[in-house]
Amino acid sequence: MRVRWNPIVKKDLQIAARSMRISWGLFAYEAVLTMTFLLALAVIQQQTGSFYSDGNVYHHLIYLFPVLAIAQVCIVTLIVPVITASSISGEKERQTFDIMLTTCMSPFSIVLGKVVSAVIHILFYVVGGLPIMALSFVVGGMDWSNLFYFILTIVLLSVFSGSIGIFCSSVCRKSISAVVLSYVFYFVIFVLTFIPAIIKGLFVNKGAGETMLLWLVNPIIFFEEFFMQIMSGESLFAGNFEKGDVGFLTFQLARGKTWMFVSGACILLLSVLFLLAAAWKVNPMHTSSVRRPGKKK
Amino acid sequence: MLYINDLTKKYGAFTAVNHLSLHIPEGDLFGFVGPNGAGKTTTIRIVCGLLRASSGQVRIGGTSAPVGSREMKRLIGYVPDFFGVYDNLKVREYMDMYGSMYGMHSRDIAKLTDDLLELVNLSDKKEVYVDTLSRGMKQRLCVARALLHNPKLLILDEPSSGLDPRARVEMKELLMNLHSMGKTIVISSHILSELSEMCTSIGIMNSGQLITAGRIEDIMQQLSGGKRIHIRLVSGMETAVRILKEQAGTVVESVRENEMIITNQGTDEQISALIGCLIQNQVVLTGFYREEGSLESLFMQLTGGGGQ
Repeated sequence: MRVRWNPIVKKDLQIAARSMRISWGLFAYEAVLTMTFLLALAVIQQQTGSFYSDGNVYHHLIYLFPVLAIAQVCIVTLIVPVITASSISGEKERQTFDIMLTTCMSPFSIVLGKVVSAVIHILFYVVGGLPIMALSFVVGGMDWSNLFYFILTIVLLSVFSGSIGIFCSSVCRKSISAVVLSYVFYFVIFVLTFIPAIIKGLFVNKGAGETMLLWLVNPIIFFEEFFMQIMSGESLFAGNFEKGDVGFLTFQLARGKTWMFVSGACILLLSVLFLLAAAWKVNPMHTSSVRRPGKKK
Repeated sequence: MLYINDLTKKYGAFTAVNHLSLHIPEGDLFGFVGPNGAGKTTTIRIVCGLLRASSGQVRIGGTSAPVGSREMKRLIGYVPDFFGVYDNLKVREYMDMYGSMYGMHSRDIAKLTDDLLELVNLSDKKEVYVDTLSRGMKQRLCVARALLHNPKLLILDEPSSGLDPRARVEMKELLMNLHSMGKTIVISSHILSELSEMCTSIGIMNSGQLITAGRIEDIMQQLSGGKRIHIRLVSGMETAVRILKEQAGTVVESVRENEMIITNQGTDEQISALIGCLIQNQVVLTGFYREEGSLESLFMQLTGGGGQ
């Protein structure tokens, strides 16, 4: 059976591979990761030689992995909207999007192609950063399977960030507006989802209740759980909450690895919803996506 | 080939296309004419599935598939008025990408690309980056791209806008070539002289309404009420006027010293017989010719002088 590439993925990768942008991007990514590694190593060495330390550097080197991984997560989170937010609005600006819509590709295939090319783009960076990550495994004593799980979570994060970027790109006409809107969505999902639990915890004073379920779609909590599971094999929630502190459902989900998997599924589901919304938005057969054409150039 | 029935497109209170009905037969080269904002592009975008109509139906080639469906898209090749390019993409890759978007296999695309690039005279540009091509070449490439999936109907929205005279001539020749191959082509253009040279029929739009559509000669004849013929003569003016007034379907419009203008609704044979009759009655003619109306004058007349 012959595997057919999505033509948009093929085209986007072909164009990206020929531009200097990807080379400079890769260089910057590696540079930031190397700086992070060296900085973390310096801090660990300093702590090992302190008065309160047991003097065993290997007790601290294990923290190289989460530091480097969190650095990669932060970079990916920041650059994916820049890549994807200009994907559809960029096609609109170039006036190539109309031609795409007259072909046999469905709006969902177009949107999916854009996200897949963004994920592959990110994987270039992640794979390029593997030698630096490998150092944390050599001196940190981590299992190779952790690296595999880490790449999986990076793919999940790329899909999630990419779907937000694509949705914003389908809503906005200009790429810059799409990038700004993407970061607004980030703020809502990454920061504002904490607000109900904080308000309830501080002012209502009966625990956070089920408001913490909103955190299921928050990638910060997802990665916190992921790193907790890898480093200590425990959930942060399970160790810190009593039955009365949180709602019944939250308490049940906080046991073992349940939260991490359910959160991953929720993030993936939200990504699919964003993609469907983007596909609906770019489909010219939907009335709401129609606006009166402006004057010709 | 293309049936548009009672098509309407509204943007709030503004009506861009107002109850448009049109039939373009197979093999026709149809010119869409109208001033800016007449609704030509809106109509084209609806037919191509890029815009949803408020009401009305569009059918292509007898298929009952809805506008925007995959089946309908396979029947249409669309060339927009503006050619957007991707940096770092070669002509061959550009064709391959769009061929893939129609679900074609790379081997078939490669073969068709060679043929189509030859047709549009770009065979030597196959390995050239698209953004380095001239505007005329880009437009011809766009036509080749639109023909890749062998559509039944080729729709071009102002294909000559922004092109230099040479590129326009090349584009015109390409379209006439495609027409001779039996393709049904719809062109929207502002360059009326060009349309009158290549189109078999036209449709004139104004303020969202189709004012008239049909063969250019038929429309001209309808508007002038017949064929205007200029007759130049040396002597026998009175005899000529008398004979012509006696003929049914002939109106003497003006009489000057050595020239008269008549309107005749008869066939070419009847006009020929009429001229013969004048000569037999000793009217000395030095010449006669039929007045050829221009598309510009027709357009201005129909759009109330408000056009371009």
